[in-house]
Amino acid sequence: MDQLFDEIKRAVQDGDDEAVKHLVNEGLLKKLAPRVILENAMMPAMQEVGEKFSRNEAFISELLVAAEAMNAGVSMLEMHSERAIRDRGKVILGTVEGDIHTIGKNLVRICLEGAGYEVKDLGENIKAQKFVDAYIEQKPEVLGLSALLSSTALCMEDVIKEVRKVIPSARIIVGGAPITQAFAEKIGASGYASNAFEAVQLVERLLK
Amino acid sequence: MDEIMNMTGKERLMTALSLGEPDRVPVWELAFNEESIIKLGRLFTDDVPTLKLVHQMTLDEKLKLLDVMYMITRELELDGLTSIYLFDRETVDDDHIKDRWGRIYYVDREGDAIPVKGPISIPGDLHNLNIVHPSETEFLMLMVSIEKLGKDIAHVFYMTGPFRDSWALLGSIEKLLYCYKKKPDFVKDLARIATDYILEVVDRAAALGADVIALSSDLAFNQSTFMSPAQYEEFILPYHKEITAFIRQKGMKTIKHSDGNMWPIMDYMVEAGFDGLHPIQPQCMDIAEVKAKYGKKLCLLGNIDCEHLLPFGSEEEVEKAVKETVAVAAPGGGYIISSSNTIHPGCKAENYFAMVKAARKYGKYPIQIS
Repeated sequence: MDQLFDEIKRAVQDGDDEAVKHLVNEGLLKKLAPRVILENAMMPAMQEVGEKFSRNEAFISELLVAAEAMNAGVSMLEMHSERAIRDRGKVILGTVEGDIHTIGKNLVRICLEGAGYEVKDLGENIKAQKFVDAYIEQKPEVLGLSALLSSTALCMEDVIKEVRKVIPSARIIVGGAPITQAFAEKIGASGYASNAFEAVQLVERLLK
Repeated sequence: MDEIMNMTGKERLMTALSLGEPDRVPVWELAFNEESIIKLGRLFTDDVPTLKLVHQMTLDEKLKLLDVMYMITRELELDGLTSIYLFDRETVDDDHIKDRWGRIYYVDREGDAIPVKGPISIPGDLHNLNIVHPSETEFLMLMVSIEKLGKDIAHVFYMTGPFRDSWALLGSIEKLLYCYKKKPDFVKDLARIATDYILEVVDRAAALGADVIALSSDLAFNQSTFMSPAQYEEFILPYHKEITAFIRQKGMKTIKHSDGNMWPIMDYMVEAGFDGLHPIQPQCMDIAEVKAKYGKKLCLLGNIDCEHLLPFGSEEEVEKAVKETVAVAAPGGGYIISSSNTIHPGCKAENYFAMVKAARKYGKYPIQIS
């Protein structure tokens, strides 16, 4: 079975959707549980790409195509699973009001999904109230806020205040180019990550 | 010595871009946002226009804003002024504008327009793409700047580069990066279209009297470059080479602007033929290290932090940063001082003045900072 897992890993990392679907199907025909395929092949594949990305040995396009290939495989696994396959916890992500930059947030989403988390991506230019509403409705384990501009980073504090008015214990993490650990502490965030892979590690620490 | 102390701003900036030592470190900025111009202008006059973003202004209002910018340039004796290529755009709604290619932009609160939707999704769409050509009104700022300020200062013309223009046609940087892996020929087609257009713009800017072309398009973010070095070599380098060769042929210099950690592709910046690299973002790159490795091949521009220092620091802290930066980046020439991006509305006007003042205090050649 290890050989099949290795082949799936390689196909995910190569961004080869068709090969992933074929190999996942092969695994399912061999009566492997969807979760076994996810945890032994697909998540390790994305973890490796994420680690390489954090060491600047892989670049954004590698992450994008690997994520697409993983999603192709996950869709197949979900058809054979009675419940959501990504069940390590739910994370809501969004870029704060006035800021429409997507890439940092999207890389965090890819890495979190790759690690088995369910992600609800609210998108960009999200007002504080929308974060509050989504938090109440979705009941995530973690809320992640992104900003690229120093001016919009200031909006993060408002979001944290508004969400904590409703859920004082809300775990809220922040990231983006102008954000520092000191800034995150100053605005009362639960944590800060400087890149997408660190964001996964941060979520894992917060959920321990 | 007397002769060299009387350099014009243009001579000063062009000397630095040729990796030489001018009489003093040139002072220049890539851009000032609308609000920044008004804030700085108020320190000299009450006659400033009402704050609006450029796309909301009438022609008269745009010209009035430019007059304030020219006054700041004269008062502070800046060595160069950047004129922006003002793409003709129509308003879609309060926050969105559309250019003639059909690219839709979100305009943020600082006035920066970020592409969010392009006219192309798949290679087949290229057949229906309406190829446009530069229009004369798009050079308005350059024409007026040269007329009002004359040729004693360097006129830098700021336009987008092939990477940005390519991904803007798709509406998203991620879509282009995805295509690097999945549709490489499509990426090259987009770069070809973008480059042909850029060459037309450069040609017209040269005819109007620009001295320097500054190519925007961030190629990096804080962590690293958006693309791998191999991807840069395959998908961008040939087009950058073509553009810099054309600019050189027209007698101008080229500055490449990119935020972020550019280390993975620094050798390629030299190979591409750029004369200068801006802004050596201090959060990601140590300018002393860049100077040591590339100071004899590239003019360095920028590095005075506009993320924290210029918005939140004191004037004394600004002076200290300028002194330290000049000490490591200016000796031997090939350094132009500017903020680490642009003078955005968050920057304090007094801190920008402190930066210019300190540049004059410490930037006289030969550099003598202990």
